[in-house]
Amino acid sequence: MRKVLGRIVGVASVLMLSANMATAEGKLSLYNWGDYINPEIIDQFSKENGVEVTLDTYSTNEEMLARIQAGASGYDLVWPSVHMHDIMQQLGLLQAAHPNQMPGWDNIDKAAMRSHEDPNGDYCLPYAWGAVGILYNKKMIPELKSWNQFFEYAKANPGKVTMLDDLRETLGVGLIMTGATVNSRNPEEITKAENFIMEQKPNIGAFRYDVIPLVTSGDIAAGHYYVGGVLNTLQNPDLLGFVIPEEGATMYQEDVCLLANAPNPDNAKLFMQFLLRPEIAAKNSERLTNGVVNTAAVDLLPDALKSNPSINPSPEVRAKLQIFEDLGKDLRLYTRAWDRIKAN
Amino acid sequence: MIAGDTISTRKKRALFLLLMPITLVLGIFFLIPLGIMITYSFLEPGLYGGVEWNWYPYNYGRILGWPLNDYEEFEPIYLAIFLNSLKIAGLTVLFSLLICYPAAFWVSRMSPRRKNFVLFLITLPFFANLLIRIYAWLLLLRPTGFINSLLQGVGLIDQPLDMLFSNFAVIVGMVYIFTPFMFLPIYANVEKLDYSLVRASQDLGAGPVQTFLRVILPLTAPGIIGGSIIVFIPALGNFIVPAFLGGSKVQMTGNLIERSFLQSRDWPFGAALALLIMGSVVLLLVIQFARASRRESRGAA
Repeated sequence: MRKVLGRIVGVASVLMLSANMATAEGKLSLYNWGDYINPEIIDQFSKENGVEVTLDTYSTNEEMLARIQAGASGYDLVWPSVHMHDIMQQLGLLQAAHPNQMPGWDNIDKAAMRSHEDPNGDYCLPYAWGAVGILYNKKMIPELKSWNQFFEYAKANPGKVTMLDDLRETLGVGLIMTGATVNSRNPEEITKAENFIMEQKPNIGAFRYDVIPLVTSGDIAAGHYYVGGVLNTLQNPDLLGFVIPEEGATMYQEDVCLLANAPNPDNAKLFMQFLLRPEIAAKNSERLTNGVVNTAAVDLLPDALKSNPSINPSPEVRAKLQIFEDLGKDLRLYTRAWDRIKAN
Repeated sequence: MIAGDTISTRKKRALFLLLMPITLVLGIFFLIPLGIMITYSFLEPGLYGGVEWNWYPYNYGRILGWPLNDYEEFEPIYLAIFLNSLKIAGLTVLFSLLICYPAAFWVSRMSPRRKNFVLFLITLPFFANLLIRIYAWLLLLRPTGFINSLLQGVGLIDQPLDMLFSNFAVIVGMVYIFTPFMFLPIYANVEKLDYSLVRASQDLGAGPVQTFLRVILPLTAPGIIGGSIIVFIPALGNFIVPAFLGGSKVQMTGNLIERSFLQSRDWPFGAALALLIMGSVVLLLVIQFARASRRESRGAA
């Protein structure tokens, strides 16, 4: 997930991509994570359909939800994570776009139908998924395999590793290491995870999203990071590596959803159809280096991506990946644990 | 008589019209949001951000220890974070003052042309985006960064110094950001300093230390106090510098507020924290103004 840029800048950047403004027949307004779509496919859609496309970005699900709830109008499509998709559908913020009746729907991997609220794909189109693992510098750690090794290295080299500044992700690692599920609502399990992370904290250099430049330069040896980092390992295979740790990891998936108050629902559905085309899905994935939900697109991917164990993991590894569920009020157990970790 | 009245009413009307825009701006963009914040801080957090319209003073209990209910526990960490923020903001004021006070005297004695040029240089950083400038510090301070490579190149150190992601880095970043805000008020004061008073003090037999403490310092105190307040208040609420240069391990209340709104989905708690910061700043200002006015009335007497 190359959400990082959006996170750094933190400001919704508006990207105007209009192939031919004079002949534009309509508009389409996208609200997506920062750097989470290949601009070339937006351009292509724009040219094919004569639609003027605008793209705004956000850096957390909560930020997006807050803006939509506060009445931000004018957006057609959003890219919530699956648990946020469920929340938004329950809150009545989405409308059914019926991607399951669009040509090419059969190519969507059935394992990607992860939404509880939308099991048949009446509302949203699965977009991409990925694991959250470790990006590391091979000059400093020749081969990294597990969280255990990560924390051992940190103990020997304090300050040389980072973890994500995200309470669910980082406490999630604590839960995995103490043998609980990442969606635990059990206060004791969460306390154990809190204590685990707290023990590691003196050795962790920073809680941070933007680590690619620091790992590349060797300022830090390894960073808890999204699978989108594979793009950099492919460009620099001798220096950088990405691994889904043996103990297991968290994963995420985003779906493309049509907002209830979308001003251009027809163009939005057209865009969903466009995303369903295998060659478009493949082109997008080359840029995202995320897991692919379109089975026909997998065959069109370059070998380096198709055979990459982080992007296209084996069934055994997939079985160890856990996706976040919405915890409702129990999220407070996590926020309080995280506040304590941060403060001490 | 009549002419005088018209002039005074006209003056009043002009004043009213001139003050109208700023009053409206402050009313709409300050008082209304403040009212929203105060209201929210006493409401129950909504499940997915936002608020439930139920009376819920326990957000304050979580921070201050009272009142509490079954769900909210008192966590002393929030006060500890607040004290840490006070410390960092205080150190920021101290170091920027140490930099700016001598510099202001230096600049005030320059020729007018050089003076203008130097003042331009001091405001120059504002031309670049704050985030970019903070990012530049990250590049300077990191283990393979400019400062470490330079020190290693000269042979002063063997191993790179661990400067990034520490309290040190946060204070460097804060002092860097806020130095111009400290400099300008002090400079405005130092520029006006009447040197005949300094000479008079010397003629009357005061030593350099005595002259400084009893003449120069009191005369420039308003600039120091003004600059300190202007630096202290935004420094207390800053969250970008601790997030970037402190690696999110150094916590200030600003980070906590940001997290309450964007990650924890607990707007009322964020609002309560923000109001407590604001409250303490207002208290500080009130004390300061009370002292200043007491001093003035004493001076008048």
